[in-house]
Formats: sequence, structure tokens, C-alpha cells
Amino acid sequence: MPLLLFPKIKATNLNPEPFLRAYYMNIAGIGIISTRGRGIDSLDIALRQGWIAPSQTKSHSNDQNVFYPAYRVKKETINDITILKKIRRADKFSKMAVMAARDAVIDSGIQINHKESEVGIILATAFGPHVTTFRFLDDIIDYGDGSVSPTTFSHSVHNAAASYISSLLNIRGPTVTITQFASPIHQSLILAKAWLTEKRCKYVLIGCVDVCGNVMEYICNQKLRIANDGKIRPFNFSASPSSVPGEGSVFFMTTLENCQNKYCEIIPAYITNCDTIEKSDINIIEADGMAGDETSYQNTAPVDVFAGGYSPIFGSMKIISAFHCTVSALMLKKQIRYACPVQDNPYDLNLITKTESAEIKQICCIRKNCANKTDIIKLIR
Amino acid sequence: MKIFITGIGGISAAGRNITEHLESFQLMRRNAGTVSLFDTFLPYPVFEVKSPLINKQKNEMRTLSLAMSALKEALHDAGLQKDFSGIKTGVCLGTSVASQLNDIDFYRTYRNTGAADMAAVDRFLKGNLAEAVARSIKASGPSITVVNACSSGADAIGVALSWLRNGVCDIAIAGGADELNRVPLCGFGALGILSKFLCSPFDRDRSGLNLGEGAGILILETEEFSRLRGKKSVLRLAGYGAAADAYHLTAPRPDGSGLESALRKSLADANITPQDVCFVNAHGTATHDNDKVEGIMLEKIFGQQIKFLSTKGYTGHTLGAAGGLEAAFTATALREGWIPASAGFVQQDENIPVRPITEQTQINGSFAVSTSLAFGGNNASIVISKDQGNQPEP
Repeated sequence: MPLLLFPKIKATNLNPEPFLRAYYMNIAGIGIISTRGRGIDSLDIALRQGWIAPSQTKSHSNDQNVFYPAYRVKKETINDITILKKIRRADKFSKMAVMAARDAVIDSGIQINHKESEVGIILATAFGPHVTTFRFLDDIIDYGDGSVSPTTFSHSVHNAAASYISSLLNIRGPTVTITQFASPIHQSLILAKAWLTEKRCKYVLIGCVDVCGNVMEYICNQKLRIANDGKIRPFNFSASPSSVPGEGSVFFMTTLENCQNKYCEIIPAYITNCDTIEKSDINIIEADGMAGDETSYQNTAPVDVFAGGYSPIFGSMKIISAFHCTVSALMLKKQIRYACPVQDNPYDLNLITKTESAEIKQICCIRKNCANKTDIIKLIR
Repeated sequence: MKIFITGIGGISAAGRNITEHLESFQLMRRNAGTVSLFDTFLPYPVFEVKSPLINKQKNEMRTLSLAMSALKEALHDAGLQKDFSGIKTGVCLGTSVASQLNDIDFYRTYRNTGAADMAAVDRFLKGNLAEAVARSIKASGPSITVVNACSSGADAIGVALSWLRNGVCDIAIAGGADELNRVPLCGFGALGILSKFLCSPFDRDRSGLNLGEGAGILILETEEFSRLRGKKSVLRLAGYGAAADAYHLTAPRPDGSGLESALRKSLADANITPQDVCFVNAHGTATHDNDKVEGIMLEKIFGQQIKFLSTKGYTGHTLGAAGGLEAAFTATALREGWIPASAGFVQQDENIPVRPITEQTQINGSFAVSTSLAFGGNNASIVISKDQGNQPEP
């Protein structure tokens, strides 16, 4: 059989994805768990407080003096007695997911009782519940193949968290867990928009979750340059940037329906050339040291556009875009520009240096991902 | 909008390509054996892929090797080359094992010494299934690795369908791949759902599943795209439905309402009724709970006369690959006009009101369904059609 190429098609299918209004979804509610606490109010407080040094975790290595900085979620943040019984066996990954998802639904004010099948879930993660996976490997090493814990195994599966969310909130629409190193939130938004357009569901809970643990901290220390002072510097645009591992979860309750209390509208798009970024009031530069060389961020911050970058609040994560979208949504809803938590500014960008009221119509979150693509997520009032 | 299946590829213990699978189905060949990929004393038979072309985790994840093998066949079937530069191409693949950093040697060394060689980590970081496949074919559209446990492959096909219908891409590579691995073998063993014998889906005396490995991949194209490149196909991906049980982490909802919802949504999505379906390729793992719930629901929706089978008697349960492989088998069966006997079935279970087919059977119809159920309460159903010119538009 001859191999067919694409002679008639190639030229017509390269149109960039347009930022058409019709492509937008509404963010009706947000739930967030981060090192700085739980809920959108805790985020507002954290953004006003600015940078706080991360915790230092003792390395598992033989050298007892090695410590790794990490932005860990505190135990008390995920101790919620109102739902703890139903998720008592869940690991930290699932607990962070469940609580952020539940908060997003509550925050939206949308009553999902009797609409169980109209709600879908898309949960994105880069590394999944790896701490539990390693605990399962502990079982195999310590007790042998035939004496492992079935409970640990069932929680090491990536979609355990989504299962807990659907059970706890009685959500019975389509549920997909995805794992991506490049663009997890971006891909989730594209899929959610497709589901809503096709009317597979009326609402989609879109979330990102990642957890940190000793092994991952060791890997980050081997693969990345760790900022020993705990400070991520998003505006240094370094060829070998510093990072500090983080963990947390963010969920958005999204819908095409108009909702009174919504935060903003949101749309993802790819671009290949930063010169084509549409002008907005604020560009969020998502540099966090996770994707290697950050020099190409230089042309993402024109002088007449405010530049923000909040990864120093949360830590470095493949899912950091979800946290930046949350900050953006909050800025649009409250009409407040939050000061950048770390303001090292060697390129003299138009940084947001103080927290103040402002008229903000649109924000672009810009991330150079590990596949050398530029992800743009645009949020408008 | 019509979405065509223009290429099919599959690899499992039952065959290194679709043709070899058809031979195994005809001969009722069941290539199970003891585990050879790693050391274990667990006594459960498994369905391993025996092919020198599939590596054992030296340079890349074995799952990726399996996926690339099925992809090569699917691309050839579709008449496509392995370079999609400039084309809006989506890649959506399901897996379970390949999503986990579960290299036991790496972890043991780290645990013992506080340090370990990064080769396993590098392999993992380069091995995100959809991203790795997208890189290898220079795909420029969306890519997603679905990790919905045992329904991953079917859900990945459903995601691709949504992309294509919404213009997110013009062509998509969709399906699933998974390798046999010690973690699920130990885990499923601990859950008590592995059989010490060859599995017997829907049988009265079924005693659990056998793990397998493999990959199944479909090439999906919009009607316009396939027409423009001059590719004709009679097979269509006509519908997809998914629903969550909202019940339990590992057990299916006993009333089957999640599966029922997924099935009914997929039929509505394809704009057909249950009477239009000529056979069902059931999930049929041979576990007590799955087969009971699924059998009851097949009878409820399609009636007692429904022709159905499970192909897991030939491939084992390939986890994240299962939905992709079984979609490939379903499409192939429609094209070929016959379905194989449901291997392992002997005696009807009095708690299951229907029985799978026990011999190779001719089929004469336009629509078939493939179901997938998963840990976490995921249920997925795919409708595939053989276009006969005047079918309803979804």
C-alpha cells in the first residue's frame, strides 16, 4: 500500500487557535490547597503577606546534614473533621484533591444535588500519588510479593483521588484523570471546553494536584538546581534557573452558563511565537525553574504591560499554571494587583511591586513548558 | 460530524499484529504462562508479549515500546508516514503502569543509601506515553495520557472523539498501552482477584483475572481530513459515553447504574438504539463482581439475545491498554464480519442472565459496543460502526 502524505491539507490546517470569545468558559468557583493554607481567602492573605521561606526537610541520605527546601502543605491544612471519616484511608494526594474540589463546588454556589450526571471531573497531575507508590514498594521490599497491602495499592493508582471526589460529592458524570509533564492544566481546559460544548456535561470540575515527598525532593535535587535560600526568582530569566519543589491542589468549577458570582472567563491557547501574544493588562510569567532554560521568557513582558510572577509563593511544580490562574482569577474578581513576592528584576520589567486596587480587564498566564512550547491561558473579567 | 477509523494496530500475547490476533481467535489460542519479565514467586499465570522488538526497560519504558509497535501497524493500515509536522494531530493514550515511577531497583538503592542512579528517572520522565508518542511523530496538537486505570484506553478514545468533533485536531492517535509489571501483579494479588488458572470470563466458576500486557491503537480522522487525503474507510467511531459510579475505590456499584449510564450515553451519542447493536465486546475480566454487574446490565439494556464476548481470555487483562485493544478488536470484527468465541466460558452463572458466545460467530450489523470498567468506579462505552451509507448522523 502506498504511503499517503498530506499534500492538499498541509497549508490550510496551520491556523493558530484564535482567542474567540465563544471559546471561553466561566470560572464559577475555586478551591485551593497550598503551603500557605486552604481556600481562596488564605490565598488572598498569602499574596498580601508576600514571600515566606519554605520548610527544610532532612535528606534521606547518609549525610544527616543535608536539608532540602520545599513548599509543603501542612498536615493541619488537610485535617477537615467534616469529611475526614469518608476519606480516612486517603493519602495526602487524594485529601488535597478532595478538599480543593469540594471547596470549588461550594465556592461556586452551584447546587449539584440532582444534577449528579451533569458534572464531569478532569483531574490533572504530573507525578500522581508517588509517595504512596513508594510506600507500596516498601511493602514489596520488606514483606515480599505476597504480603503487600491492598489498601496501599489501591491508593497508589492515579485515579484514586478522582474516585474519592466523585464518591464524596456524588458526581456521576464523565471522570478523567490525566498525567502530563507539559501543560497539564492547559490540556484539561481544552478537554473541558469540548465536553461543555458537546453537552456531555453542564459543569466540569477541573483540577490539578501534585504531592512532594522525600524521593521527589531527592530527584529534584539531582535533576534541577535548587535554590538553597528557598527563593524562586521568576524574572531572572536564567539559562539554569533555581527551583524549590512545591505541592498542592487547585480546582475550578467551570461552566458555559452565566453565573452571577463568577470570577472570570478562561481560555487556553497555544502559540509558537511570543511576539503574537495579545496585549493584556498583566502578563503572569510562570517561570519556576522546573522547565530548564528560562531565557526565552524575556520577550513575554513588554514595558507597557505589568508583569507578575507568583511561583515563589507556591513552589516549583509542573502544575504551577493552575495556581497562577487562581491568582489571576482572584485579581480579576477583586480588581486588585498583588505585589510580586520576589522582586529581583535584573531586566527592569514593569513589575507589580505593591498590592493595590486597579482596573484589570484581562490577564495572560504564560508558561514555557518542558516540550518547548509556550502555553497561554487567558483570563478576562 | 463523522469520525472515521482509518488505521488499527494491536499487540498482545495473542499476536504481534491484528492478523496474528485473528489467527489466535480462530484457533482459540491462549498464550499464557508464568512470569518471565521479573522474578516473583506469585503463582498466577500471565499473558506476556513475546517479541524481540519489545525491550525490557533498557532504554525506554516497555509500555512505550508496545505502543510504538501498535502505532506502526496502525499508521501503515492508515497509509500514513510517521511524520505529522504541520498537521493538527492529537495524541491521546491510556496507561496505568507507565504513569508511575515504580522502578523497584531505583527505589531500593535510594532507600538503602539515600542516593540512586537517575537512569530509571530519566526513562520515566521521557516516557509519558502520549508526550513520547507525540514527540516521535512530531504531532503538534493536544496530547493527553489518560490514567483511568482499566478504562484508560477507552476513555482516551473518547477524549480524542471530543477533540475531533470540536476541531481541536483533524487527526488523532488514540488507544492504550500497558506493560506487565510487578506492582499491579502484587497489588491485584493482594486484592484477591487474580486467578491461579486461565481466566474464564462470565463463567459460573470464574476465579479472577489474569494480567496481560499490550497496546491497541486507532487512527481517527475527521471526514473532511480523510476525504482530502483520499483515504476511504467504512469504520467509524460513532459514540462514546462515560459515567462515574461515585461508590467505591475498587468495587463496581452493585446496581450497575454507572455502567448503564455510560452505555446509554454512548448509544445516544451515536444516535442509535440498543436494537441497532449487533454485538458487545464486554470488559469481562473474570472477576466475580465485574462479570456479574456487567452481565446483568447487558441483559437489561440489550436483552437476552445480545451476542457478547470477552477477549481477555486471549490477551489477559491488559489494564490501561484494554480499552484500546478491545476497540481495535471490535472495529476489526465489524470489518471482518465475525466475532471469536469467548475463551474460558463453559457454564452459565445463575446470577448472570446472559451467556457469552462459545463459538466463532458471523455478525451482520452496523454497530458494535465495547465496554470498559475500572478501579475508581469509571465506566466507559464506545460505539463503533461499519458505514453502510445511510446511517444516522450523531
